[in-house]
Amino acid sequence: MSKSLGQVTTAGKVIIPLLLVILVVGPIATYLLATVAGPVIMDVLNSNLGIVRFVVAITGVLLFSIPAAFIIIYMELKVIAFMNLRIGPDRVGPKGAAHSVIAGLKVLTKEDFSPNAADRTVFTWAPVIVFLTSVMTFLVIPFGPGLVGAKLNIGVLYLFSVGGMSVVGLLLAGWSSFNKYSLLGGLRAAAQVVSYEIPLTLSVVGLILLAGTLSVDQLAANQAGWFTNWYVFRQPLGALIFFIAATAEANRTPFDLTEADSEIVAGFATEYSGMRFGFLFFAEYVNVFIISALMTTFFFGAWNAPFPFPHLTVALDPGSLGILLPIAIAVGPLLVTLALAVPFWLIRTKAPAWQALLGGFALANLLAFGAIGLLTYISWDWVAGLIWFFVKSFMFVFVFVWMRGTFPRVRVDQLMGFAWKWLLPAALLNLFVTALAIIVVKSL
Amino acid sequence: MTAPTGLGHHASQDDPRIMLDGQIGQYEQVPPYPTRTEREAEFYSLRDGEMFLNMGPQHPSTHGVLRVVLKINGENVVDLDPVLGYLHRGVEKLCENSDYHHVISQIDPLEYVSSLFMEWAPVMSFEQLLDVKVPRRAEYIRVLTGELLRIASHVLFQGWMALDLGGLAPILYSFIERDEIVEMLAALTGQRMLFNYFRIGGVNGDLNHEFMSRLGDWMSRALVQHEANIGLLNENEIFVRRMRDIGRLDGETAKRMGVSGPNIRAAGVPFDVRRAHPYSVYPELEFDIPVRGTGPAGGDSLDRYLLRLDEVRESIRIIDQCLHNMPDGPVMARLPRLMRPRPGRAWAAVESPRGLFGTYVISDGTDQPFRMKIHDPSFVHLQLVGMLMKNNLIADTMAVMASLDPVMGGIDK
Repeated sequence: MSKSLGQVTTAGKVIIPLLLVILVVGPIATYLLATVAGPVIMDVLNSNLGIVRFVVAITGVLLFSIPAAFIIIYMELKVIAFMNLRIGPDRVGPKGAAHSVIAGLKVLTKEDFSPNAADRTVFTWAPVIVFLTSVMTFLVIPFGPGLVGAKLNIGVLYLFSVGGMSVVGLLLAGWSSFNKYSLLGGLRAAAQVVSYEIPLTLSVVGLILLAGTLSVDQLAANQAGWFTNWYVFRQPLGALIFFIAATAEANRTPFDLTEADSEIVAGFATEYSGMRFGFLFFAEYVNVFIISALMTTFFFGAWNAPFPFPHLTVALDPGSLGILLPIAIAVGPLLVTLALAVPFWLIRTKAPAWQALLGGFALANLLAFGAIGLLTYISWDWVAGLIWFFVKSFMFVFVFVWMRGTFPRVRVDQLMGFAWKWLLPAALLNLFVTALAIIVVKSL
Repeated sequence: MTAPTGLGHHASQDDPRIMLDGQIGQYEQVPPYPTRTEREAEFYSLRDGEMFLNMGPQHPSTHGVLRVVLKINGENVVDLDPVLGYLHRGVEKLCENSDYHHVISQIDPLEYVSSLFMEWAPVMSFEQLLDVKVPRRAEYIRVLTGELLRIASHVLFQGWMALDLGGLAPILYSFIERDEIVEMLAALTGQRMLFNYFRIGGVNGDLNHEFMSRLGDWMSRALVQHEANIGLLNENEIFVRRMRDIGRLDGETAKRMGVSGPNIRAAGVPFDVRRAHPYSVYPELEFDIPVRGTGPAGGDSLDRYLLRLDEVRESIRIIDQCLHNMPDGPVMARLPRLMRPRPGRAWAAVESPRGLFGTYVISDGTDQPFRMKIHDPSFVHLQLVGMLMKNNLIADTMAVMASLDPVMGGIDK
């Protein structure tokens, strides 16, 4: 016994006791936890539902932001490659699908370098600020009916105040890097984001006047029904201004002056490497998703389908069927398979019967999955909401990627001139006309 | 804000130029040597609110290893100082130490984007020294391949221009076009970039089947492809606005500074070596010299960009005529293997895609040139950057620099 124990590797010496613990202690602990501690924990959670919701939402949002960024990065690589007549990433995973995951891991393992003369504290925390402000914006975005992190009644205000904070991170990153390119990038970011904040906010004010609410959740719910209820049809100018200003806010092409590679190398990110750069990089793509999500939420019907779809709750109670239920479960698939095998048999009567049966079986499965999907869509409105929300958002992500593949970059003076000379007056005009229209309609 | 401990020691060990003296931000004097000229002293003294921004030599948009020290005030470029010499190989001296045949391969990598023109000028000056009559077929082949490479160079210029202004796609379309031409020439010469094809008294080999079939394929859709590629950029409002009214150069200044090629034609001066000092078989060919920016203010970056696109169309016309008028006959004159030209001097210039490229050769009767002076257009055009970029924005330096289309190989020699 002792001899054989001596032959066990070091890893084995750890794993074997661990297995024992898991197999013996695990079930007992689980049972005790469920019977004794479970009700107590549930009571505490139930009495503090707000906190629970908040913690779950924060965790979910943080966890969601990483794969969202991965998907957008991969999408950008592939779509721009397609536009450039290239292949794009194709090494890792099917069609290179795991490329951005591997790139993320690479960033994690790289040296965490900081320049000698950099202000270490600020240099370290700046990317965190940039990333967190981006991710925090997710908290009030409704992904589906009820699927919102925090139902703030001042959600729009929260969005713009938190979104505006990212510029602090960019400025700190640029300043603390001790690099002139970084400094220029940070200053450009400050000037650009602060300037475009004003038309961005003003473009939504008209919308808020129309809706009479600052709650993002309520704005989304207001657009239910046919697609003509979407705010883009009542605020087309507002939607356009929002789109342009949001592009500038997220530092995307053609407003990506903060990291103009042909002018100031990489702007505020010049001195960053490793995971700190990863944070800045992720934040950029999270921002892309956020502005797409906001476009969808504010102007393109949020999680609503473009047409009213019957959202039914399944009224049938399976229990009421009694003895018929097991019979239906047992015989139903058999009968369906047989019924669907008939056309296959009719096509080729000479062929062996099992081929027809196989065809019928496959078709029955296909129909069953389709039916389950349809049933899910109909009975749980949040599933439908989630699907429509992501479809619409990723259409806007595609537009942003498309723009990146096509447009050159604007110049600093053109950028600022456009914000102050064109977007701001247009946003004010939009606000004025909307307010006037509301007064006129009310007085009629 | 406190300095990290041990900073001064460490930094000075790694790089003597970045010596931090105690507190952060206390740098050694720039430049590290005492200023040598009045201009240098004036440039390297900062007024209030100004700072230096060192662009290059490893910067993505300085087209090679040019280093430009910008004196900036916010986003405005107050003054700038191009610093050369990061790609200096001593090509003139190399040529003077090789025999006349060898010169062709020495001078080839001088301007790697259009290397056939770099062979053409010395070959022509050697032929003058040796009194060689080049066969007509060889001359036609030289013009044909030269104009093909001119298209390749201008097409690449278009892509770089877009890339410097932040457009990602056009460079790849440009490279597709350039690659087809380069592959075609590789079928003829055996090389993709440094062709080493022209010889004293002719060319290295006759046109072959693969080259002709590739050329035919390409010619059948060259113009259509060209129009499609330029449509992507020329109709883009952002691109046009970035280029318009940037880096204006008027004809008088251009003449005074010795500018040539597309840059002087875009300043309203119809000077083209192919017409002004005809060589080879260009007098027999029909083509126009596109001129832009004829107004008193001269031409801007957009004019220089559009003019190169016009030249592509003219080059396609020339290639078409070359293919129709190509005579039969030898491609190489009969020459002795070892060349000892009479003592004397010869100057020959060609119209390269960047402008007048010339070589001045002095022979002392041996088999090596006694002196060989290379006149490179990019070097002349680099004089302009100080004038054209001043009082612009940082982003405009890229628009101006790219529109002058310099190649650092030729500048540093």
